[in-house]
Amino acid sequence: MSYEFIALTMFASMMVMLLTGQRVFGAIGFVAVVSALLLWGDGGSEIAFSAAMKVMKWYPLLTLPLFIFMGYMLSESGIADDLYRMFHVWMGPLKGGLAIGTMGLMIAVSAMNGLSVAGMAIGASIALPELLRRGYDKIMVTGVIQAGSSLGILVPPSVVLVLYGMIARQPIGQLWIAGALPGLLMATLFIIYIVVRCRFQPHLGPPLPEEERRMDWGDKLLLLRAGIVPLFIFFSMTGLFLMGITSLVESSAVGATASLVTALVKGRLSAKVLQETVRKTLGVSCMFMWTILAALCFGAVFDGLGAVKAIENFFVGNLGLGPWSILILMQISIWLVPSRH
Amino acid sequence: MIKAICAYVRFVDGLNRFVGKVTMYLIFVMMGILFYSSVSKTFFTPALWTLEMAQFTMTAYYLLGGAYSMQMGSHVRMDLLYGRWTPRRQAWMDAFTVFFLLFYLGVLLYGGFSSTEYALRYGERSFSSWAPPMAPIKIIMTFAVFLMLLQAVSTLFKNIAQAQGKTLS
Repeated sequence: MSYEFIALTMFASMMVMLLTGQRVFGAIGFVAVVSALLLWGDGGSEIAFSAAMKVMKWYPLLTLPLFIFMGYMLSESGIADDLYRMFHVWMGPLKGGLAIGTMGLMIAVSAMNGLSVAGMAIGASIALPELLRRGYDKIMVTGVIQAGSSLGILVPPSVVLVLYGMIARQPIGQLWIAGALPGLLMATLFIIYIVVRCRFQPHLGPPLPEEERRMDWGDKLLLLRAGIVPLFIFFSMTGLFLMGITSLVESSAVGATASLVTALVKGRLSAKVLQETVRKTLGVSCMFMWTILAALCFGAVFDGLGAVKAIENFFVGNLGLGPWSILILMQISIWLVPSRH
Repeated sequence: MIKAICAYVRFVDGLNRFVGKVTMYLIFVMMGILFYSSVSKTFFTPALWTLEMAQFTMTAYYLLGGAYSMQMGSHVRMDLLYGRWTPRRQAWMDAFTVFFLLFYLGVLLYGGFSSTEYALRYGERSFSSWAPPMAPIKIIMTFAVFLMLLQAVSTLFKNIAQAQGKTLS
């Protein structure tokens, strides 16, 4: 059997396994260990556990649970509530203003946290009910929150870029800086879309009624204070990291601590909230890390086959694709693999 | 037989819930270690042990927490087809495909035993200036995989019961 054929079989059986709906890490891990045993017999039996040792030595992976914890803490701490109120009052008078404000909230959350889950949790629990109550179109509101939360992995800090940097061996600091502009560009496009759409179809996002907007300027300016804490958190994480004072992993710990302290100071930290946050963090972290564990095992078998070279040969040699067409193909492939958390 | 299975499921679920509820607080240990690391680096002499200790904690955290997160249903599935089935059909499929999971965990456990045995026999130490012995973390890892295996068996029993329209405790 040629290596290309083995690689193809592995991929095909993995797809079939995934379609059965078994937990992703189980499906991937199974194909990996069976291939290893078939290929190398007894010599392949330790590949799964050595992947666990590899996960352990993957230092930047520590940022993952910390960012997850921080995301949940931010939504519990009331930082997000204050931020939302700020955007709410300042953007309210515009057509579709609350949706624009929500996008602002998403950008702020993305700048504090490196995962999309955080934006999704905050958007769905804080912004969504408010917007629906004020007669915003449901479809548009969910779109705003989903699109907005996707900024989380683009605007620094970003966990996905950490993972990417580890696999592709690229400097994470530079990747983060590279993510900032596309992230803000996307946010701008989203906002332009909301403005244009609500100009032509005002019923999708009605402006706030007069009585809700009435507020003197002093109070309005006071609300801007809500922006200080996020700026502080952003600086203590991304700032200190880019200045080289804390390492990447340390800065995620600093951020997690900062969000914890904020929640404590604001008096939002009951034993129940803390326990719930820690429990959810464990669930999401374990999901990610068991999947990474299985994927690394799969990757080790693949590397052992020299399948990376085979795939490269196939796309670059046989199909004669250039970098751009491969990039576009990769983008399209994402559309073909729907999955839900 | 049914009684024994019920007792097994209750015991394993209870054990793993307990382990998970303790493990989930390890996140604060990680935060503490890393926070200490950045403080000691800025103001005093950098500590040697923080990096590896944080890695050990993370490994214990996600491996020991795995079984509890499986109870909570946190692990993602691809639901292109699965999502459209009735709960009963899902349970049928799971009762069958959970053997894939069991096989994977079995191989993982085998590797864990052989790696731990090596670490114990030769007194393996990490290649670093701190050079901690590797056996303790490997024992924890292997034990965690074993707990995960127990949980997967418990899941299998629950799936079979569910496929027949019953529930186990």
